[in-house]
Amino acid sequence: MKHLPKHLRPRWRYLGVEIEAWSDAEIGRRGFQRALWAAARSLLGDPGSADADLTVVRFRFGDGEGEAIVRARRDEVEAVRAALACVAAVGGRPIGLRVRGTSGTIRACERTHLGHAPAGETGARGGPAGNERLDVRAEDGFVGATPLDGDDPTAAGDAPAGGEAGSGG
Amino acid sequence: MAPYEAVRAHPDGESTLARLALTASEYGFEGLVVRNADRASGASVERVREEYGIDAVDAVEISAGEPSAASGRVGNHRSDHTVVIVRGGTPALNRFACEEPRVDVLARPMAGEGDVDHVLARAAARNGVRFEFDLGPTLRSSGGRRVRALAGLRKLRELVADADAPFVVSAGAESHLELRAPQELRAVGGAIGFSGAVIERGLAEWGRLAARNRERRSERFIEPGVRRGRYEEDDR
Repeated sequence: MKHLPKHLRPRWRYLGVEIEAWSDAEIGRRGFQRALWAAARSLLGDPGSADADLTVVRFRFGDGEGEAIVRARRDEVEAVRAALACVAAVGGRPIGLRVRGTSGTIRACERTHLGHAPAGETGARGGPAGNERLDVRAEDGFVGATPLDGDDPTAAGDAPAGGEAGSGG
Repeated sequence: MAPYEAVRAHPDGESTLARLALTASEYGFEGLVVRNADRASGASVERVREEYGIDAVDAVEISAGEPSAASGRVGNHRSDHTVVIVRGGTPALNRFACEEPRVDVLARPMAGEGDVDHVLARAAARNGVRFEFDLGPTLRSSGGRRVRALAGLRKLRELVADADAPFVVSAGAESHLELRAPQELRAVGGAIGFSGAVIERGLAEWGRLAARNRERRSERFIEPGVRRGRYEEDDR
């Protein structure tokens, strides 16, 4: 098929998304894409999903954190944001996510909203010391904590003391 | 308007208050109402407020089977906590909360068997009891459960608008992974029939409520409109 003339090509927007999960979770691009499509279909319906025309164009995930760039039609950014917010889990593993920002090109999106900033200004998650995350292994899964919680974040509660600390930030 | 969120921390949730606060502050929330402040493990509300620059609010969410039990606990907790929330979910509990001015927020009124009508909505408006629009099931459930939750939200939205009743909005997060940023909540609200302004007001209302109650609990406060001032200095 021939390239469409410029005025007929869809206008895309690229959403830079920050993703978080428990530190032992493994999440792949395909799984994330599938979860996002499912969320869009159930929230926006088939017509809404078709309008949004979602694709995950960049994906990186490891050690419980990652980022993605999601492409959508320009007029549908709010609908896509809503669908993204409804992705509660990928392959049964709960995830947290946030849209860092939107751009008109992939490159601008990487630079402005993801971890490709020249001076590491907007990118690095975790940021200054003291903002580290700890996923503490407890009997039934993890407890999310930070160094502020002291040696044993679960101490004040009824949960048994966790031992191994997963990597966080 | 500064967005606040209300969360349940470890051991009732999966993340400590500190972890929830860290994520919430990155997501752009200015405050965090802790529904189980007296049980929360790890760092304290005060410590988190200092370290993460987010206004952690000491609250209690009362979950009781019967209005009589809930009533007793409201009485016990009112003077100890900045925000008192009653978890609804049965017609009797919803009625109790709407008719009790000492209750700040009626959480999850449409969950389970819960229902609200125009009489309750007016009672809540009169008594300043805020209805909670719980976006949790919209964000994290699917199928029939979600459809019922959405239908409940719609009914509650219409009643709240009609009675001009106060309300709050929350994603009902129990871990840092369940938090969603204010912009995302706005977008989800838009997809299910809420205007952006309603979601913003609902998120900000937690903060307004906390500020008002702190003022009331401070020593200067005597009753609405009357407070201890500095008359002696001015009075010549």
